[in-house]
Amino acid sequence: MQPDGIAGAAVAGGHPGFTLAQRLTVIVLCALAAWVAQRAAAVFHDGVRPFLLDFVQGRSTRRATATVSFGLSAGFVFGLGAPLALSTGVLNPWLVFLPTDVLGLVSPRRWLAAALGAAWGAVVVFGVGGADSLVHKLPVDFVTAMQQMATPILHLFALFPVLAVARQFGRLSGALCGVLELALTVMSLKLWPKIFPGSIAMAAGVLVLVGLALHRDTGRRGTADTGPGRPAGAEEDPTAGLFRAGALRLRSHLPLLMLLGAGVCLLCQAHVFGGGEASGFLIAKGDHGGAAQVDFYRALGFIPLIATTALASGAYGVAGFTLVYPVGYLLPGPWLALAAGALLFAAEVMLLSWAGRALGGLPSVRDASGQLRNAITETLHLAVLLGSLAAANAMGGGPGILIVGGLYLFNEATGRPVTRVAAAPAAVVAGGVLLNVLYWMHLFTPVAR
Amino acid sequence: MTRILTGGLGRTDVARIVQQLGLDGIDVAESDDMGAAVELRSGRADCYLGTCHTGAGASLGVLVGVLGSDACHTFGRAVPQENQVAALLAAGVKVFGFAVDRIEAVTPVIVRAVAGAHGAPGLRAP
Repeated sequence: MQPDGIAGAAVAGGHPGFTLAQRLTVIVLCALAAWVAQRAAAVFHDGVRPFLLDFVQGRSTRRATATVSFGLSAGFVFGLGAPLALSTGVLNPWLVFLPTDVLGLVSPRRWLAAALGAAWGAVVVFGVGGADSLVHKLPVDFVTAMQQMATPILHLFALFPVLAVARQFGRLSGALCGVLELALTVMSLKLWPKIFPGSIAMAAGVLVLVGLALHRDTGRRGTADTGPGRPAGAEEDPTAGLFRAGALRLRSHLPLLMLLGAGVCLLCQAHVFGGGEASGFLIAKGDHGGAAQVDFYRALGFIPLIATTALASGAYGVAGFTLVYPVGYLLPGPWLALAAGALLFAAEVMLLSWAGRALGGLPSVRDASGQLRNAITETLHLAVLLGSLAAANAMGGGPGILIVGGLYLFNEATGRPVTRVAAAPAAVVAGGVLLNVLYWMHLFTPVAR
Repeated sequence: MTRILTGGLGRTDVARIVQQLGLDGIDVAESDDMGAAVELRSGRADCYLGTCHTGAGASLGVLVGVLGSDACHTFGRAVPQENQVAALLAAGVKVFGFAVDRIEAVTPVIVRAVAGAHGAPGLRAP
């Protein structure tokens, strides 16, 4: 096996596999996450959370809620979570927590949820390790090829604030922010060659976006014109009562949520888990500081969404505001991680009401957060597509590109049965299997490596 | 005049498509779930089109909680027929969610159904 690509060097030597302590952490945490989902106290999928309100109030059945959760999650598990885990050798929340959402919601009994969650945890730790070593033995090794994904994901990801600024504040602001980020990247390469060059640029970009949004919101508050989105009205905000009820329910689950925070923080501290799309590659390389920065800025895109959906539904996120990821990566020891995770979740839950009220008065900030998430998806889409084609080239040359690119285009032409971000990695896996079959039929010779 | 609000990831695109349709009696404005909650409640808006990646929960945001699930419907990544939307409107649905990658296909279908429902005498919501 030969290391190729930037992150390849660290991972391609074969992931050492998980230690016993790491395996137990994953299994126990999966059991806990499924338990929490069973009680509708927290789910990972932000899109599922709004549906939990109906379930909690008895207007929707457990089966219907579980079906919604499965329908929303399946594509992300097989299309994003699994290929990312295979290509990094590091676990991610889509692979670990989306199935525990479904398993917890589907279980009529708490013990069953915990048992199914633990079983899934075992599948994950043994499956990822097993699949990894199995595929490495195949004549066409598509997992090693998948490491081509790292370079485009890491470097394009740094640009996501620029896209968000351009979309929300126009072409000129976007271009200026882009120039700023480029200059900072070049400077960082020159001055601090050891750290990930995009991290300072990303920080600057996010600051520009948040600054512009706050400026617009505070400026708007001063004038009489409140814009079309939020007309000044004397009536009480209809979300207030709903949010109060949600905050109360969340506080009633505080001990359970603190336990969950402790577990997630411990998993991050074990350095076998990357919480974002890009951070897994950095964790695999051992760049925990870089991973912490990437996931911190990413969290800014998700906090408003998680806060409003949590307050509206009374159910929290399995990873909370996702700030637990960077905290976990950076902490030196497991006991500290357990304590920090629990305290962080407690603080987040207690501050939720305040966050909800603050966000209610800051429409541009809410909008900026949505733009950040959208920009993450856009940069990721291009990066993953590019990385997948590079992987196709690495495993099969021209014919590989034909198969993987062809499968991707076929998905587009047939109305995208597989979501866009997931389509290209799924095509690499399908193409890799197909190339191995062709090899056994003596119809294909692997590219010399 | 029927007022449609757009929200979520693709709200600018949705609003543009609604405007380009140029249907009589249809007014469109960009908003978000929390802003729309106020306007829909007070009757200053009639309908909300929300978008997110999956066309599910996040496209509706807090509106499921504020207006109740009976007033909300998500098409996910499916593309509905006009009569299907008309039936939902008749049943009191005001909030529609769909996926951002289906905007071009779904938006005209919903808006035509809304224009039809609100234009026809007797069907207008009291």
